Parts: sequence; structure tokens; C-alpha cells
Amino acid sequence: MAKNGAVTLKGVTKRFDAVLAVNNLSLRINEGSVFGLLGPNGAGKTTTLRMILRIMVPDEGAIEMLGEPLTESAQDRIGYLPEERGLYTRMRVRDVLLFLAGLKGLGEREAGRRVDEWLERLDLRSWTSNKVIDLSKGMQQKVQFIAAVVHRPPVLILDEPFTGLDPVNAGIIKDIMLDLRKQGSTIILSTHRMEQVEMMCDSICLINRGQSVLDGELAAIKRSYGKNTVRLEYEGDPGFLDQPDLVAAINHFGAVTEVRLRPNGDPQEILKAAVARGVRINRFELVEPPLNDIFIEKVAGTAHA
Amino acid sequence: MHKLWLVIKREYLTRVRTKGFVITTIIVPVLTVGILVLQIVTATRQAGHTLRIAVLDEAGGLGSAVARDLSGRLPSGQPEFQVVQVLENPPAGTRENVRARVLGGELDAFLVLPASLGEGKASAEFHTRNPGEVTISRELNHDVSNAVIGQRLQARGVDIRDVAQVVKGVDLKVIKVGTGGDREEQGQTIVLAIVVGMLLYTTLIIYGVATMRSVMEEKTTRVIEVLVASTRPFYLLVGKIMGVAAVGLTQYAIWVTAGALVTAYGAAVASMAHAGALPSLHLSWSMLACTMIFFLMGYLLYASLYAAVGAMVSSDQEAQQAQMPVTMLIVAAVVLFNVIIRDPNSSLSTTLSMIPFFAPILMLLRIALQTPPLWQIGLCLGILALSTAGIVFVAARIYRVGILMYGKRPSLAELVKWVKYT
Repeated sequence: MAKNGAVTLKGVTKRFDAVLAVNNLSLRINEGSVFGLLGPNGAGKTTTLRMILRIMVPDEGAIEMLGEPLTESAQDRIGYLPEERGLYTRMRVRDVLLFLAGLKGLGEREAGRRVDEWLERLDLRSWTSNKVIDLSKGMQQKVQFIAAVVHRPPVLILDEPFTGLDPVNAGIIKDIMLDLRKQGSTIILSTHRMEQVEMMCDSICLINRGQSVLDGELAAIKRSYGKNTVRLEYEGDPGFLDQPDLVAAINHFGAVTEVRLRPNGDPQEILKAAVARGVRINRFELVEPPLNDIFIEKVAGTAHA
Repeated sequence: MHKLWLVIKREYLTRVRTKGFVITTIIVPVLTVGILVLQIVTATRQAGHTLRIAVLDEAGGLGSAVARDLSGRLPSGQPEFQVVQVLENPPAGTRENVRARVLGGELDAFLVLPASLGEGKASAEFHTRNPGEVTISRELNHDVSNAVIGQRLQARGVDIRDVAQVVKGVDLKVIKVGTGGDREEQGQTIVLAIVVGMLLYTTLIIYGVATMRSVMEEKTTRVIEVLVASTRPFYLLVGKIMGVAAVGLTQYAIWVTAGALVTAYGAAVASMAHAGALPSLHLSWSMLACTMIFFLMGYLLYASLYAAVGAMVSSDQEAQQAQMPVTMLIVAAVVLFNVIIRDPNSSLSTTLSMIPFFAPILMLLRIALQTPPLWQIGLCLGILALSTAGIVFVAARIYRVGILMYGKRPSLAELVKWVKYT
């Protein structure tokens, strides 16, 4: 199925004085996908998002949205949940949402109808005439989420959408995201939580120092690494993992230990060493590397390059 | 443009609905009226009853003359003093006796004319239970002096009435010559000019700082991030400035209406109390129009500066410091009041009133004092309009960058860079 580009960046560069925040970045985000924009702190993610949002203009390169050059009216077709949340604290919940919906081009009556629908859906109906400051942090987050989606944007940018939410509310937000995607929205997800990316994203782009260091379909990326990781549960002396020729990295999670092998490293050698030392193996599984490891390898790799 | 309207509307409505707005708008005039009414009422009440007094004439021969001259009238038309008793050359102990009667409430006060009063070697004494009532003491002093002087003159064979005729002073009336007709001057031109100048000074600072705080609110709550993802920063800035201006004009309108009512009411109360007409401050329509024009231009200029300051700071403490230069400019205009009042048309006054930062206040002051040539007003407005446009442009650029910058306050060099960013 051939998909159109929801957002396309072509050779985008942005400088702040001497700092090159984004360096010749090209991206293609497919329509109807969930796209993960990843990268360490200060990699240029926020600047990239701000350029897509038309908050900033690239110094070089071009950005297209839904097949058209980015214009002022494009802002009405993007929804945005910034990482730093913030609303007018002394305004009433409903008034804030009506104002923000109006700024996204919704007419007064339409905005009123949709805001009420969303407040109902996110269980905030009884808080509509309270001031924002009276709401708990989680509730404020939900209000801000409504502001991002109320105008049914074809492109939705969510920066760390789950931080500060309890599992129930996080689940509600996740369901809404998947619902919106089903309706054809494209979601750009920026987060440091790799397990969320693994569960939700179709494609990713990992940027570091303003440049793309990895991008493509998530499944394809993981496949390219092969099943080079052993997921272990064992009882006994961990000394059997002390094999620098074989093991590239070890990650202890408590109950589970993940061992990444060197290229051409044979997982069978691990098992042998364990048996030889009398370690009891309860679980031995060959898996694709977690995104977390790929992230660390890529970022650390370029950092030392 | 619809988005600009939304920004203005939000700014206006959220401000007008705050307690602060209601308090300043309603309480200030209510307090003013209250104080005015209280003053009038207490003034008429306090002098509301006749004081019963005794006169102790230790000099002899003065008492009845003084009693005759104590002819002051209260605003209500009642005599101020009722002389119950004149005791000439009283025997020793009379003072204690009379004092006891005052304490007992039979008398309100007693006046002592010491023996050497005629030679001017002693003071007359007024003993009273309530010295607060002696707002009349000047009058009393005058009456006693008159009686004593009359006595002395009579002793020299001169009739007091002749003397009064001879030494009667001359009144000087000052007439203001203006194109709109000549008007008797009782200091109201300068008072009006200062009132208008101070009004402009206060409102420029109040609404300028309000604009700055509003910018800071959006920045510190981070709501700005969502706003700039929805519309142009320039609309946000202009919408904010216009919204706050609308709040200011609403407040002005309420105050002018209230002021008119107070003046009418005050005049009514005053005339009922026979206090005589208050010198009225005549505010012509053209003066009102000038005030509005210069307020709006000045506000646009200063609000842009304050907004730029609000955009470049991240905390209240920083804002306190960073706003100082802007506030000092407004204060400087007030400091220069003297120069203008001394000679509104001197070349120094003319030059100062052309400097855009001072123009709104100082040119208005000049217009209120002595209407300058029309070409000067035109030139001033032209300079003001051009420089305001320039300042709005620069402020908008600083605003656009500043609202997304957190952390350290920018240096002047950094600000210049901000202005140059595309």
C-alpha cells in the first residue's frame, strides 16, 4: 500500500549562532503512521518539531505537510502537546479549551460542541467551570491533550504524552491515539521511553547532534540487527558472563538479564559456560535487541566518533 | 485576523473579570467620593454648634469690644461664638472658677485677655475642652487682633473704620488669554495640566506593567508554546497590547463617568452647605481628545517596550530589574514637569516635548498649559508615530525570540542578535 508523506523534511538545517541545532535533516513521515522521533537530550528534537509546527523557520531546506509547502494555514492542521505543559492557570477549563480551539480555526459553536464531547470522554465533565489551577496535574494533562486533538488534526505531535499520568489515564490516552490513527491521523511521538516506542511506533528516526543516525521502519531496523541478544533468567554466580570476546554488553534488570553478543558470537557458548560453572538456567531466549540498546549504541557510537 | 480578535477578546475578558480590575475600578472612585463626602460632612458637622464662651478681660476695657467683634458665622448661619459672660478685671481665682465651669460643661471655652495685651507684650489665650474645634482659631485671632488694634487706635483718636478703608488690600485676578475666549485664572490651568500629566504617567505605568505581566504569564506557564504553534507571535503581541488598552479605556470610561457624577454631587453638597462654589476644573472636549490620543500613542510605545521586557525574563525578580530602564523613562518625563511649567514654549520645553519617550506626557502638558503652535503638535505626533512603529517592530522581534528562551536574561548584544534573527 503506497502511502503519502504526511510530513516531509528535505535537507533541513537550523543554526543558533554558532550552534548547529539541526543539520541537513531529511525525513519522510508516512500518512497514517505512528512515527517515533528519538534522540538524546539536546539532539535537536524540539527544534525539529518547532520547525514542523512553523514556530521556527529553517535556515535551509524545505518542509512539506500533506504534500504542500508549510504555510500559515498548515498550523490549523497540526495538533501539539508540548513536553513542557502549560495552560492559563486562572482561566476556567472550558474557556481555555474554547480559546485554544478557536486559535486552531474552529468556529465558536463547533468548538463548544467538541470541547464538551472531549471533556465528557476524558471524564472531566464536572470540572468544566473550575479554574485550571484547581485541577490535579493529571487532569491538567488531560485538558492539554484535549487542546491538542480538539480540531481533529491530520497531523498530531505528542511530546512525552504519558509522563505524569497514572496507568488508567495513560491507557485512555493510548487508546485515543490508536483511535485517531485508525481514523487516518498521523502521529509524531517524541519520547525517551523506548518501550512505548517499541509498542506503538511503525517507524522511527533517531537523531543525534542534529543529524539522523538511524531511520526507517522499526521492524526492519530491529531485523537488521538480527537475534543477537540473549534474555536470561538464572540462579548462581554471574561469572559465566565474564567473556569479553563473546559478550558486547550486559544489562541487569533484576530478575532478567539481557546479554548482547558480539558479531558472530555464538549464544551456545554462554549456555556452555553456565553449565560448566553449575549455574541453573531458568530461561534462555534469543531475541532482537531492545530499542534501548540500539539507541545507546548509536548515540554512544557517534559521541565517540 | 480572526485569531487576532480571539487574542484581544481573551485578554480583555480575563482581565475585566479579575478581582483586581473590579477593585481598582470600583473602589478607587468610591473611595474618592467617600473621602470627599466625608470631608464635606465632617466640615459642616464639626462647625455645627455655637461655642458658649466667657471672656476674662484682665486688661480692662477690651472685653466688650472683643465680644462685639467675635461675629463669625458658621456655615449653617448660626453665630460661631456666644459670649455668655464678660468679666472685666476679674478678682483672683476667677480663672479657676471659669475653668471649673468649662470642665462641668456649662461653658465650652474661655478667652483670657492678659493685662499687658494692649501693649502687645502678651498673648491672648483660648482655653477649650476641644482644641480640635479650633479650626476657627485663625478667625478668632483675627477678631481679637481687630478689637485690640481698634482699642489702640481709638486711644490715639483714630476711627477704626477710616483705617480699614485706607489699608484695604487690592485683589489681583489672573485672566488666561486663550483662543477659546478669556477665562479667569485661579490656578486651575496648572492644576489641570498636572492632573492630566499625572494621570497619563500612572496609567502608562499601570497598563504597561500589566502588559509585561501578561507576557510573562504566558511564558512562565509555558502556554506560549501552544499559542505560537497556532498563530503568529505578532498577533499575540498586538492582540495582548490591544486587549490591555481596551481594559484601560474601559476603566477610563468608568472613571470619567464616575468623576462627572462626583463633581455634580460634590457641587450639590457644597452648595447645600453654603461652602461656596469650588473652583471647577474645566476639561474641554478637545483636551479630552488630546489626552486620549497621547495616552494611546504613549501606551502603544511603552506597552511594546514592557512586552519586550516580559518576553526576555523568566522570573519576577528579573522582571523587576529589567523593567527599570523603561519605568525610568516615564518617571523622567514627570521630573521634567517643572521645566515645562516654568516656560511651556521655551526651546528647551519644545525640544523635550519632541522626544518620543517624553512626548506623550510633556506635549500633553504643554497643550494643557498653553496650546503650542499646531505645527509643533503635528510634528510631535509624526515623530511619535514613526518611532512607535519602529519600537513595535523591534519589540515584536525580541518578543518572538524571547518567549521561547528560558534561563539567563539576554545581554544587550544578544538582544541585538535576536532582533536580527529571521
